[in-house]
Amino acid sequence: MKFLPLIWSNLVRNKLRTALTSAAIALAVALVCLLLTMPGGLDRILNEIASNNRLVVLNKAGLVYPLPYSYLQKVRAMDGVVAAASWTWFGGVFREEKGVEFPNFAVEPDPIGVVWEDWGIAPEQLEAFRRYRDAAIVGRGTLDKQGWKIGDRIALKGTVYPVDLEFQIVGEIPDAQAPHLWFQREYLDQALRAAGRGGLETLGTIWVRVDDPDEVAPLLARIDAAFRNSEAETASETEKSYFANFFGALEGFVTVILIVTGLVALCIVFIAANTASMAVRERMGEIAVLKALGFSRRLVFATLFAEATLLSTLGGMLGAFAALGITAFLRQGVAGWSPALGPLGSFVVTNTILVQGLFLAFFVGMLSGVVPSFGAARRPVAETLREVF
Amino acid sequence: MFLPLRYPLANLAARRTRTALTVGVVALVVVATTLFSGLVSSLKETLVSTGHPRNLIVLRKGSTNDGSSSLPLEAFQALRYFEGVAREGGEPLASPELVVQPFFRTASGGRENVLVRGVEPVALRVHDEVELVEGRMFAPSSGEAIVGSGASGRYVGAQVGDVLEFGRGRWRVVGRFDAGGSSFESEVWVDARELANDAKRPVPYSGVRLRVADGADRDALARRIDADSRWALEAKPETEYYAKQAESANVFYLIVIGLAVLAGVGAAFGATNTLYAAVQARRAEIGTLRALGFPRIAILTSFLVEALAVALLGFALGAAIAAVLGRVVSQALGGIGFGAATFTTNVIQLRVGPSDLVLALGLALAIGLVGGFFPASRAARLRPVEALRKA
Amino acid sequence: MIEIRDVSRVYRRGADEVHALEGVSLSIGAGRFVALMGPSGSGKSTLLNLLAGLDRPSGGDVVVAGQRLNDLSEDELAGFRARHIGFVFQFFNLIPVLDAQRNVELPLLLTHLGRDERRARALTALRVVGLAERASHKPGELSGGEQQRVAIARAIVSDPEIIVADEPTGDLDAKNAVEILGLLRDLAREFGKTVVMVTHDPRGEAFVDEIHHLDKGVLRDSVPGGARP
Repeated sequence: MKFLPLIWSNLVRNKLRTALTSAAIALAVALVCLLLTMPGGLDRILNEIASNNRLVVLNKAGLVYPLPYSYLQKVRAMDGVVAAASWTWFGGVFREEKGVEFPNFAVEPDPIGVVWEDWGIAPEQLEAFRRYRDAAIVGRGTLDKQGWKIGDRIALKGTVYPVDLEFQIVGEIPDAQAPHLWFQREYLDQALRAAGRGGLETLGTIWVRVDDPDEVAPLLARIDAAFRNSEAETASETEKSYFANFFGALEGFVTVILIVTGLVALCIVFIAANTASMAVRERMGEIAVLKALGFSRRLVFATLFAEATLLSTLGGMLGAFAALGITAFLRQGVAGWSPALGPLGSFVVTNTILVQGLFLAFFVGMLSGVVPSFGAARRPVAETLREVF
Repeated sequence: MFLPLRYPLANLAARRTRTALTVGVVALVVVATTLFSGLVSSLKETLVSTGHPRNLIVLRKGSTNDGSSSLPLEAFQALRYFEGVAREGGEPLASPELVVQPFFRTASGGRENVLVRGVEPVALRVHDEVELVEGRMFAPSSGEAIVGSGASGRYVGAQVGDVLEFGRGRWRVVGRFDAGGSSFESEVWVDARELANDAKRPVPYSGVRLRVADGADRDALARRIDADSRWALEAKPETEYYAKQAESANVFYLIVIGLAVLAGVGAAFGATNTLYAAVQARRAEIGTLRALGFPRIAILTSFLVEALAVALLGFALGAAIAAVLGRVVSQALGGIGFGAATFTTNVIQLRVGPSDLVLALGLALAIGLVGGFFPASRAARLRPVEALRKA
Repeated sequence: MIEIRDVSRVYRRGADEVHALEGVSLSIGAGRFVALMGPSGSGKSTLLNLLAGLDRPSGGDVVVAGQRLNDLSEDELAGFRARHIGFVFQFFNLIPVLDAQRNVELPLLLTHLGRDERRARALTALRVVGLAERASHKPGELSGGEQQRVAIARAIVSDPEIIVADEPTGDLDAKNAVEILGLLRDLAREFGKTVVMVTHDPRGEAFVDEIHHLDKGVLRDSVPGGARP
């Protein structure tokens, strides 16, 4: 590494070019990181958040078909079930002109702490949720996006059910991507009765916690068998499978994103290669002198190569930081779960993505440095000296 | 007093590798932006092209979409005879409809929510952009269905002659329809009462679509419906209803703009680099031209032309690639699905259209101008004596 | 034709001041072929740049073809050069991507002549220097001597009164050097041009009418050259 000063001095020799190249690479890497947050957000849900120990029971015909509320008790009574809770889509809107901005559900307050233990909701908050009829627990993603905090009172207008409900936020789901709002099922039931609409007779989906992995498959079969040939047949699956299906339609979009990402990555290669070849071309003379002085071909090659790689990696680091900054800014208002994009819009730059971006820059630097460096290192000294002097 | 066009162009041709790399960068940026922009435009177009300007959609007050609404039968009976509703052959053009979103299996094994619309025969007359292109309309109470062209290509059993399984039943597909590229093409239509039965809906209709008579005031009719105290209803022009949904796609535009700006600036930097090097390498030449008497503006414009030429070449190459790539991707994926806020899947074909190309051209030119400006002015400001200096 | 009156030129190089020329006065008559000679750093190139309108004096007057150059703006100087001055450089300075004919045509683009007229004049100029049949060759395809002759054709194509040559033989072998010097002398003798040459080449002395010696920015002496009138 005694050549580091030499390599560095070459980079600062033409400050403008170095600055422009690293800025260009930084932008491209930032873009790659930003783009990757989209499938990244999806991946994260599918692989990290979705659990194999949580099962979901839904109407076989579709998500918008309800299940009788009695099913919940029946499921709870089955072997292997640690706890079960139901979700019923309320579809409330916060700002009427914006429509449904985040998913909101009526749930039972007692079992949720058990069924979603891995979501890390604070016990005092769960307690408050149980205690206050109009309590609501909101995911951090929505809290951030709407600028709410615990203690705020908010109101949602009903779209599916003809009632409007007011809540006080007593707790949060800590995950930065989480968009949900939960409130008490009883609350909706009472509101409907008060409006003369009867009570809440159905539920949307049942979520089941299972602790023994061996119980999963038999339990799924048992649940579906119990309701076969009834008015509402069920289709039970693990949470992982459910999300995979739910977001399946986004597959096409994700493909396009990945293609675009690949194109941008290729851009980086071109930019870096261009600069490297310009630099080498201009320094033909010096390279010949170095070789005449006795620097071996391999050494000349290595220093040129290191220069290109260093430049590219620096640009990559800048870009990665820029991506972090941009997403932090975006999450303040625009980003987050949206009906159109779902988890794709969360713009969370994970460590994986940062590493991918940096690695891309590093790898590209190497790749771009190879060809011009190779050519320069190989040229016979006399030829170069003759050409230059 | 300007330098001939041949000069900048010949210089580009002389430095083939460098020119090619820079053109490549611009082309890549153009492809990336155009593909994305095409995706968004296609989505928007599908959503915006839906709806007839003379149709009103009537839903229960407070429902943001058909799926969550329900309409009492008496309301429908009354609405049909409201003044202002168009008539054809003595019959009012009022289409009562039921919207349900069951699961469908896709050809690739996935599961999507599809909008199934239960309709009466009058629906074809109210939605006159819907046209059967294959087979025939379903017969009432016969377990038959017709499918939109978008849905037809995507789901298992959705071809004419096949059997579709959704909800609690099986439906024979007897026809396929087009709808001018609108979101109706992602739908499946069946008999309203059969659907209500299958979905166990106590009320067979979720809403009604009314055609406003020629010469009648559409908005006045809407207001009258809203104000009717017998039922809490809300009437809205169909086009407005779908346009609202198109708004949810606005977040995509943000992404497209962001992509264009970031990538564009990056490409501009790359172009700047290349051009600076060219200016440096041609110092003596520039000094000579100045000595000969060419004014600064001639040098400036000449280098700008170089930058713009690279940008335009990049655009041409990129646009061609994008058009082909878009088609290939779209075919391979069988259309691209978007789950909008309404819990349904809109199937769109990725199409690169004129507006996308205009955006890309603007981007390319901006890259050329921005990227070329500083080097070009540096070249123009070179003092002849210094440029000609032999050291 | 050219009047230099008490001219000085001072540069800033970092913190230092360099006095490239001090108190130089000379005059050059029309149709004369003169050489400016002197060691490195004597200011001869600086003086050449000043009388060619490429640079401004720090003090004194430069009057060329009746025009006081000090009075002109940057763009006006450019126009002046286009009309009155032709340039010949040591390293030829042809545009590598254009062929000989288009190189020679360049100065004509600054006039209002049409395409055919420009082409015709360029070919004429090439004929004068004996290279008409190489008109479509690019500089890369020509020898050093040929390139310099193309440069001279370029210098005369718009018929300027003055030709300024900075080390015109510096990059040529003996045979070509002599040819170029002869060509320059013919421009003065037969075409009546005022030719001012900066050179190290002692061979040049035999061709010129006058030699002005400079040393350390000052005009030392002026002697007649070896050219027979």
